[in-house]
Amino acid sequence: MFDWLANPNRFNRITNKIQPILLLASLITIILGLYFGLYDSPKDYQQGHAVRIMYVHVPSAWLASGLYLLLAISSIFYIVWKHPLADLMSRSTAPIGALFSLLTLATGSLWGKPMWGTWWVWDARLTSMLILFFFYLGYILLSNAFERKIDGSKSAAVLAIVGIINLPIIKFSVDWWHTLHQPSSLLKFDGPTIDGQMLLPLVLMIIGFCSFASYIIILNVKTKLIEKKCEALILKLNLNEISNIR
Amino acid sequence: MNYKELNWIYLFISHIKRDILINSRSLFDIVSIFGFMLLIIILFPMGIGPIQEKLDIVSNAVLWIGLIIAIIPSLEKMIQRDYTNGWLDQIATSPIPLEIVLLAKSISHWIIVIIPLIITSPIFAILLGLEFNQIPWLILSMSIGGLSICFIGIIGAALILGARRGNVLLPVIILPLIIPILIFGVGVNESIKIGLSPLPNLFLLIAFSLIYLVISPFISAILIRIAISR
Repeated sequence: MFDWLANPNRFNRITNKIQPILLLASLITIILGLYFGLYDSPKDYQQGHAVRIMYVHVPSAWLASGLYLLLAISSIFYIVWKHPLADLMSRSTAPIGALFSLLTLATGSLWGKPMWGTWWVWDARLTSMLILFFFYLGYILLSNAFERKIDGSKSAAVLAIVGIINLPIIKFSVDWWHTLHQPSSLLKFDGPTIDGQMLLPLVLMIIGFCSFASYIIILNVKTKLIEKKCEALILKLNLNEISNIR
Repeated sequence: MNYKELNWIYLFISHIKRDILINSRSLFDIVSIFGFMLLIIILFPMGIGPIQEKLDIVSNAVLWIGLIIAIIPSLEKMIQRDYTNGWLDQIATSPIPLEIVLLAKSISHWIIVIIPLIITSPIFAILLGLEFNQIPWLILSMSIGGLSICFIGIIGAALILGARRGNVLLPVIILPLIIPILIFGVGVNESIKIGLSPLPNLFLLIAFSLIYLVISPFISAILIRIAISR
């Protein structure tokens, strides 16, 4: 399936059809989800209106971890089958994932201030999201750290794969550390067992965020493809000029 | 010498000897690492104040953080010099397995850098007011944890080969990987302090070292082959 998609022209043709649908779907679901989430859903009996941060926080947390999986899978495709498109895919996924994990941390800290009384707690969940953000940061920095951009691709892909091996280990160790040092008194995350009126906007927002992220990533890949074509074109023109001079 | 006579154990030992010999010619590096760690250990109590109760809370963590921060700048040098002078290219194209060489490199780095710090660690422990019955466990956990930091460090050093500003990049890349080592390494002595058995944390630390022992030579060999093919 990925072999089949690896042809840039075919990729362009298919995504040209998919992209407007994704954009439309994300616009509709995000607008509807925001409407239901911010106006037409009950406030929580404990948390009051602050619970509405959830409608941005939860989808972005899902995407932050989901996009890392996408990054690792496309890195594996790049290392094993050496599709250049897989490299472009992971390069364009990483900044989006980093932004979503930053958004998760930011909304989480905004949510934490009224609920827990602090902006930041060294809780297992927060810490592992921060570590995920560092992995994204490491990938982005490493993939751009070389004179020729393509040089960094393979090393960064290996880093992404090492990261996917290590993420469960780190998550587990952080969980363990948390239970050893900090018995959860502050962070009983039982909260409300979600009811239908809250579930609807949440699901809408998750769908909207996912389609928006895929729209942006496809756009990013296309831009990078065009950049590559331009580079090749410039190289060709320069070569022609040199041969003309001779 | 005929290559058929070379077995892997001979190769391994001779590479460790080579690295120790090279590093023994520039002892200043090792002394500077020791000095850096001593500086961290001295600065912490000055920041906290001379109250022993406050110091007791953080002393284990300070020792471990001092160890990690002191080692990180030296990790880059593990293979950088051999990469720039072309020695690694020669090894990678020769019939000698690169994985064995890299394993020897991380072990020898452990011998050169971590062992001196461990030998002197009772001094640090006394400076921070640790109890004497904790010092053997500290030495044990630091030597095992230091071994896995060396295994992680060689992956990081191989990742940044040929990169611009690699020395800035290296800490960002490997710090997330070191976090479990830090947590369980500190956990060994923390559990003694609250009267529990230190063994669970120690076994987890050993488990991490074994995991990294298995994966690090192969991953760093892949990365070095990528770096050489550039």
